[in-house]
Amino acid sequence: MLLLSACGGGGEVPPSAFPGMVVEGPSAYLASNTIVYKFDVSNGAESWRFPTAPDTANPRGPFSGMPIKVGDVIVVGGSTGSNGAYDKHLYGMSDTTGQEVWRFTPPGDKGREFVDGAVSDGKLIYAPNGDGNLYAIDPAQKDNNQPKVIWTFNTGNRLWGKPLLADGILYQGALDHKLYAINAATGKELWRFEGATAPIAATPTLKDGVLYVGAFDSNFYAVNAKDGSLKWKSTVDGWVWTAATVTKDAVYFGDVHGKLYALDLESGQHNWTYETRDTIKAQPVISGTMLFVVSVDTNVYAFDLTDIRKDATGKVDYNNTKWQNITLARRMFSAPVVVGDALLIPIFDGDVKVWALDVTTGSRKYQFPIPPPATPAPGK
Amino acid sequence: MGNIFDILVVNPMTNILLLIYDLLFHNYVLAILVLTIIIRLITLPLTLKQQVSSMKMAAMQPQIKAIQEKYKKEPQKLSEEMRKVGFNPLGGCLPLLVQFPILIGLYNAITRTLAVTPLSLLELGKHIYSFLPNLSSLVPVNSTFLGLIDLGQPDKLFIIPILVVATTYFSTKLTTPPSTDAQTKQTNQMMSMMMPVMFGFFMLSAPAGLGIYWIVSNLIGIGQYFLIKPRLDLAKAEHAAATSASSSGGSTPSVSKPSTPKARIPPPRSKVKPSSSARIAKPGSESK
Repeated sequence: MLLLSACGGGGEVPPSAFPGMVVEGPSAYLASNTIVYKFDVSNGAESWRFPTAPDTANPRGPFSGMPIKVGDVIVVGGSTGSNGAYDKHLYGMSDTTGQEVWRFTPPGDKGREFVDGAVSDGKLIYAPNGDGNLYAIDPAQKDNNQPKVIWTFNTGNRLWGKPLLADGILYQGALDHKLYAINAATGKELWRFEGATAPIAATPTLKDGVLYVGAFDSNFYAVNAKDGSLKWKSTVDGWVWTAATVTKDAVYFGDVHGKLYALDLESGQHNWTYETRDTIKAQPVISGTMLFVVSVDTNVYAFDLTDIRKDATGKVDYNNTKWQNITLARRMFSAPVVVGDALLIPIFDGDVKVWALDVTTGSRKYQFPIPPPATPAPGK
Repeated sequence: MGNIFDILVVNPMTNILLLIYDLLFHNYVLAILVLTIIIRLITLPLTLKQQVSSMKMAAMQPQIKAIQEKYKKEPQKLSEEMRKVGFNPLGGCLPLLVQFPILIGLYNAITRTLAVTPLSLLELGKHIYSFLPNLSSLVPVNSTFLGLIDLGQPDKLFIIPILVVATTYFSTKLTTPPSTDAQTKQTNQMMSMMMPVMFGFFMLSAPAGLGIYWIVSNLIGIGQYFLIKPRLDLAKAEHAAATSASSSGGSTPSVSKPSTPKARIPPPRSKVKPSSSARIAKPGSESK
């Protein structure tokens, strides 16, 4: 059994949690394994990191999910380590210094991991937890030295995807197979969608009063946001854990087998598909007419949506992309971000935490962290 | 290679484990118990063969050592004599080698289905058979045991690690055949102490569900041992009889006995006619 277990060597803890990144102005905030970084998006220069050094007396992390900025505080959730042990805190750190300013722990002893971070309306923070509760907390009010819990909404199983917050309503998928609509001010349930037969871990996407979300039952659903009724359902090949990207007439997402889908927004009919070589977990990103997809197969794919060539079955040939970058050699689970002419991609494993690629060609622009300058050979 | 192993071993076990879990009231511990029993039953012939072979090898140690000493400079003769006495170095290993991938497969299936992290849950999704769509509705599995222990987490109550140490100790003690060779004996003793401790330490940081599997497997191994013990004893007796017969009448060399039978020396002829009423004992004669 010892041979079967991973023998951890020295150095960084092997990653187990999905990294997450958000860009606010000139800065990016990245939660990557056991460290949260702030860096300059123009060149990858690091501003700070949290914690500054491993603290065995007060271990934190791993951190997971997209950080959010609430006022001048960066909020990120603790997640699960590779042996199942978890960090059950939500952390708030100063945007200026990276120092911890508050920490939230779910009340009682049942709290678990915050896998996908949180969302905020600028005042309250809504944090889904692995204990099945969605917590609404107010960092401006303190209770036992931590942000006060304003309300708690309980579901039947873990919450491993963050909710969508729109117009004062939270739309939360749960591993109990349901999608909930919750009043953000009061925490009261407005409706629940029970059409899925397996967990819903993805964050829903909303457009024109319709929610689009995939589930582990290999179906993708369009649900009316007003009352939770089903508009249409489309069957796909595998579990869906990506948030979908929606345009005026299509919806794009990937599945666990690495297939990218483009569905008709009105009917759910399959427009075209594309097969990568491993899971697509990250939300596809659109900038202009370009669609960018990152895969666990370590490649980055770019499509020109005005020039999609498919065969009679709707399949786009593997080589029929605008460009592909197959040089990164690292798994990608997290949504990239387009900043100007750069596509910033959080990387799951390895020393490089973020690659910035040129959106037009896919070539490398810079990496984060910036590698140290090469040491000249002695005597030269 | 890893992909082939997944397809042939881990994926079937993962799906079977989920199927059993579904049938057994969503009780994960029961599912592990049943699947472990099934696998141990399937591998029983190999287990039996391995244990009989180990027992024979242990009993043959003095004989093997003598042959090795006698023919150490004649490798061809050495291997010939070893073969004659039935020495088979792979006899104990080969069944283990076959069982090992099955054990790895089961370990991976349990780790995968417990899906304690989002990463492992995502991985599970890739391996559920599409023709068994209902299995997706079972995840995440109910990983609480008796309301006390979260099978997806290290056991903070230390019950599982302690049971792992205890069952591994007894299982090792019972299934390791006794040896007359001092060095082998010492090695066995050290193994029977170190292995349980090592596994116990591992369980302090591993998901408790793996410990359940290991405890169940050890208990089944102990039960299996007592069930097949009569067979082992019989094999031991048969082997001892065969060894004894070959040493007394055969051409197999042994350390203490000459290779030719004893010559019968007739008594010297007596020059005195015995009377009907008296017998005189002759010096050096054999009594009948």
